[in-house]
Amino acid sequence: MKAGAVELGHASKVTQRGVNRGMSILDLFLRIIAIIATLGSAIAMGTTNETLPFFTQFVRFRAKYSDLPTFTFFVVANAIVSAYLVLSLGMSIFHIMRSRAQASRIALIFFDAAMMALLTAGASASAAIVYLAHKGNTKTNWFPICQQYDSFCHRTSGSLVGSFIGIIFFILLVLLSALALSRR
Amino acid sequence: MEKSQESTTIEMGESSKLERKGKAPLLGSTPAIAAVVGHNKGGGKNKKGIAIVDLILRIAAVATSIGAAVGMGTAGETLPFFTQFFQFEAGYDDLPTFTFFVVAMSIVVGYLVLSIPFSIVCIARSHAVVPRLLLIIFDTAFVTLTTAAAGASAAIVYLAHNGNQDANWLAFCNQFGDFCQTTSGAVVAAFVTVVIFLLMVLLSAIALKRH
Repeated sequence: MKAGAVELGHASKVTQRGVNRGMSILDLFLRIIAIIATLGSAIAMGTTNETLPFFTQFVRFRAKYSDLPTFTFFVVANAIVSAYLVLSLGMSIFHIMRSRAQASRIALIFFDAAMMALLTAGASASAAIVYLAHKGNTKTNWFPICQQYDSFCHRTSGSLVGSFIGIIFFILLVLLSALALSRR
Repeated sequence: MEKSQESTTIEMGESSKLERKGKAPLLGSTPAIAAVVGHNKGGGKNKKGIAIVDLILRIAAVATSIGAAVGMGTAGETLPFFTQFFQFEAGYDDLPTFTFFVVAMSIVVGYLVLSIPFSIVCIARSHAVVPRLLLIIFDTAFVTLTTAAAGASAAIVYLAHNGNQDANWLAFCNQFGDFCQTTSGAVVAAFVTVVIFLLMVLLSAIALKRH
C-alpha cells in the first residue's frame, strides 16, 4: 500500500516536472518571437526618412524619426527591450534545464514586468503622436502632418504594431513564469 | 538544525529526491512531517507579512490613481480674454489622449478597489495560490493599461511644453500655464502608480514561491 502510494506520488511529480519543462520551452519560444517583434519595430522606426520632392531656397522638407523626441524615445526603448530579451534567453534556457529554480524566476518576473512597462510607455507615447499626426488637433492648432509626409506616417504607424505584439507577449511571459513558480 | 538539513537534502537534485521518496516510509514519517510543518509555519508568517505590505501598497496606489484621474478630469482653464467668436478655454476633453487618460485611470481605480478583498483573502489564507496568481495576472495587465495612459499623456504634455518646430506644432503651455501644470502633475501621479504596481507584482511573485 505504501509502495503504491509512493509510486503514484513519483508519477505525478514526473508529470508536473514535464509540464513545467513544457512551460519553460514555451517561454523560450515566446521570447524569441518578442525579440523579432521589438527589433523589427526599432529598425522600422529608425530607418524612417522621407524627403518631399519640393523645396524652397531655405529649407528642405524632410521627416525623420529624430525630428520628434517621442519617436527617438520609442526607438531607444525598443532597442533596450530587445537587448534585454536576448540576454534573458540564457536565463530561459537555464529554466528549461533546471525547473526547480525559484529565485531566478522571481527576478525574471520582476524584470519582465519592468521592461514591459518601458515598452508600453514608448509604444503608447508614439501612438499618441501618431494619432496627432493623423488627425491633428483644432483646439491647439496642431496640423496633421500625415497629409504631407505619407510614407513616413505609414512607416511609423506600422512599427507600432510590432511593439504592441511585444507587449502582449510580455504579459504572456509573466503569466507563464508566475504559473511555473506556483506549481510545485 | 534538523529543519535546515531536511530542506537542503530535498533541494539538492532530482535523483536524490526520488531516493528520499522511496526511503521515507522505511525511516518513519513523524520527524519528517513535523519538520515540514514547522518549516511551513515559518513560510506562512513570511507570506502573511508580504500580503500585508501588498495591501498597504494597494491602498497607496488607489490614492495616487484617484489623484491622477481627478487631477486630469478637473484640469480646466479659461483665459481671461476672448474674441467676438469664441472663448479660449482648455479642458481634458480637448485632447483625445487626455480623455483616454481619464477613462483608463478611472478603470484602474475601480480595479484596485475591487482587488482589495482579494488582497485581504491573501492575508487571511497565506498558503492559497489561486488568489495570488489571479492578483499577479491582473496586476500585470493593469500595469500595461496604466503605463499606456501615462506614456501617451506624457508625450502630449511634452509637446505642450516644448512644441515641435519640424511639425509646426505650437507649445500651448505658454498660454495655458495652469492647465499645463495640473496635467503634468496628473501624469506624474500616474507614473507613481505604475511604480507601485511593479512593486506589487514583485511581492506577489515572492509570495508565490513554494517553501
